[in-house]
Amino acid sequence: MSWISVEKAKKLEERFGYPKVSQDKSGVVSVEVPKDKFIEFLKFLKEDKEYDFRMFLDLTIIDHGEKEDPRFQGVVILFSPTYQHRIIVKTWALDETLPTLTNLWKGAKWAEREAWDMFGIKFEGHENLVRMLLWETYPYHPLRKDFPLEGIKDTYLPSLNETLRGDSLEGLFNYDRMHTAIPTMEDLEITQKKRMPVKTSQIVLNWGPLHPGTHGTIWFLFDLDGEYVKQCDIIIGQLHRGVEKLGENVNWQQFIPYTDRMDYIAAINENHAYVLAAEKLLGIEIPEKAKWIRTMMAELSRINSHLLWLGTYALDLGALTMFLYTFREREKIMDIIEGISGARFTINYFRIGGVFADLPYGALDAIEHLIKDLPERINDYETLLTRNRIWLSRNKDVCIITEEDVYEYGLTGAVARGSGVPYDVRKIDKYDAYGEVEFDIPVGETGDSYDRYLVRMEEMRQSIRIIEQCVAKLRRMSKNDPYFFQTPDEKKLKVTIDGRGMKLPAGEVYASSDNPRGELGFYIYNKKDGLKAHRMRIRSGAFYNLQVFTKAIIGRPIADAITLLSTIDPVVGETDR
Amino acid sequence: MGIKKVGAKPQTLVEKIFFLDFIKGLKTTIKHLWKKVITVDFPYEVVTPPPRFRGVHGLRTVDGTENPEFDSWVKRLKIKPPEPGETRCIACKFCQAACPVPELFDIQSEKLDVPEGHPHYGLKVMTVFNMDLSKCTFCGLCTQACPTDCIIMTDIYDLSSYTRRSWVLDKDMLTQIANDFVARRGKEKFDEKSQWREDQKLWPEYDRTREKLWDFNMPKLGLNYHDQTA
Ligand code: SF4
Ligand code: SF4
Repeated sequence: MSWISVEKAKKLEERFGYPKVSQDKSGVVSVEVPKDKFIEFLKFLKEDKEYDFRMFLDLTIIDHGEKEDPRFQGVVILFSPTYQHRIIVKTWALDETLPTLTNLWKGAKWAEREAWDMFGIKFEGHENLVRMLLWETYPYHPLRKDFPLEGIKDTYLPSLNETLRGDSLEGLFNYDRMHTAIPTMEDLEITQKKRMPVKTSQIVLNWGPLHPGTHGTIWFLFDLDGEYVKQCDIIIGQLHRGVEKLGENVNWQQFIPYTDRMDYIAAINENHAYVLAAEKLLGIEIPEKAKWIRTMMAELSRINSHLLWLGTYALDLGALTMFLYTFREREKIMDIIEGISGARFTINYFRIGGVFADLPYGALDAIEHLIKDLPERINDYETLLTRNRIWLSRNKDVCIITEEDVYEYGLTGAVARGSGVPYDVRKIDKYDAYGEVEFDIPVGETGDSYDRYLVRMEEMRQSIRIIEQCVAKLRRMSKNDPYFFQTPDEKKLKVTIDGRGMKLPAGEVYASSDNPRGELGFYIYNKKDGLKAHRMRIRSGAFYNLQVFTKAIIGRPIADAITLLSTIDPVVGETDR
Repeated sequence: MGIKKVGAKPQTLVEKIFFLDFIKGLKTTIKHLWKKVITVDFPYEVVTPPPRFRGVHGLRTVDGTENPEFDSWVKRLKIKPPEPGETRCIACKFCQAACPVPELFDIQSEKLDVPEGHPHYGLKVMTVFNMDLSKCTFCGLCTQACPTDCIIMTDIYDLSSYTRRSWVLDKDMLTQIANDFVARRGKEKFDEKSQWREDQKLWPEYDRTREKLWDFNMPKLGLNYHDQTA
């Protein structure tokens, strides 16, 4: 079990008196503490050897609704690397403020800024509490329950209608001319100034938001002394689509296509994390066959994603050929995924309760064929890169991320493993069939870019190993085995493939999956049984991993920014959500 | 728990002096130099999408392959029993209810204007069915919700147009798309009760263009499970 045991949590109750321990049906153990004891309690959890919750996973807010008093609740999720389990700590944000956590975990910096941005909760003592995803002059806090889904339409913006026909369009195409606000140039300038209030040297270099070398639309600010970076900040949010808000406004299955559009490179893995969370909340166990299919598809998607990473990474560092080679292999994986699910990119194959269709005729053969060739290809890539002296000098000892950083910033995925931390949700949670397959976690030694590169290369080999086992297992199954959860009693529990009328029970759950880009977690809080979530929090691995960029780049020449960004490998769809 | 250490080994002197790293790299490049071109020359060559492909929607018509519950659904919703060739849609709006972007649908039905005593008195027909595909996520949830297997997804993917307006498809357009598709590739996808065939292929094997992107080394498709029969 990946949660602290209730007995152990109860000991906290005895020791301090004030914490209130509760366990949800989904297994989540949460502790509620008063606001004035919040920091003291967290500090104890972090530093006490018996608890050792050193690793910061997530911080978010729940808005209980305008009528409630107190209205906002802070939620912190921590992980203990020693005992391999998690805990949730909650407190009420009275007067819409909370004390800052940044003195305990540096990684809370961005999370607190996001909470301020989205809920308007002030964090006392935060060094620079500016907005995270929206621009500085935006007046609203969109994740509050009183903010409408379509936004507050206060800006005249006629451009969506076809100009030729003007207002004469009717029906589906006569768009409203009033829209939610968009930032102007002045707004962006103010935002930029606020993000980096003190300039230490002569030049602030802007990189992005539309630089082809970045992984999407990210806007970097580098405060440069000559070639060396003295200070760095990142402005994200250009791709912010309010996926969390959408998640609170659409039905359960209907949310899956939106998760596709977060990390679009590895859409399957995004679906995976979400359906895992929803299934835990429902308290259902999906059929064996669905588990193995899902595991296999998730690993295919990981290879797919890593191939894209390798291609663009090498391209960024000037090795163009690599890009063409990896895309060739990637095409085959996309082709298989398209044949199985019907789409190449926005896959939407998984459902709460299994998958929406069985494998089509020939799927396992194609996958077998693919993974037979793949190891040889990966060796090819390695001959081109791994020992190459240019590659070595661009990567070795570049931008070292230490083990300490991993815990402080909540780094996960290949970034954590490159720094020598064997943190892997697949091993901790053993979701789906990961408990039954054999694979190793590759870990690096120094935590430099080269280690992160080697870790991802090895991860691809391990994924092939997992897929081999999945194919062998599926071969032994029957065509009549169910691939979707069968409801024992339709009146009590309705789980449908299309999601109409499906209700999830009240409660809270945090479940995550190990994505190519780190741990993607869904924290769902459901006040009462409902067609929609009350709070849908997405803990994005890419978001937290990107945060360490601002630290690891300090003191490095500007050219290393590209290497570092590539080896952190964020996807903006996921960082911005 | 298996943990595998990866780590850097420094370049050896031999490697450094004789540029072994470059030579090895070049060898790989040269090996690939003689391979055939694997890109498809679109639009002169196209890859046929797999049967499951989720492209532009269509509305199927009554053609004798309806599922067994079709008649009871028609009765339940008081729809005029459709003749062969008429749409299967019973305006139940299940598709809209399952859709993540419900506002893209505009579905309406009307009571037939017939005198009392006419066999169709009091029955309805679907009159409007507009879909704004510019808002569609092509997720396929609507097709799974449809009780009459009316709304389907076809293999059409080229949606580009000059105006946004042409992304709104009406019921005639949708019907035509479905009829075309069913005539062209219906056998690959649906069985005689309009359900997905059990032996749907991963991709159409008659398509020779696909071979290119598989390096002219296509996998042979076969059965997945031990008790499957072709
Ligand atoms: S494919 Fe998805 S988004 Fe498009 S109409 Fe169907 S349900 Fe709606
Ligand atoms: S679900 Fe099918 S029958 Fe019902 S309105 Fe939609 S297309 Fe018509």
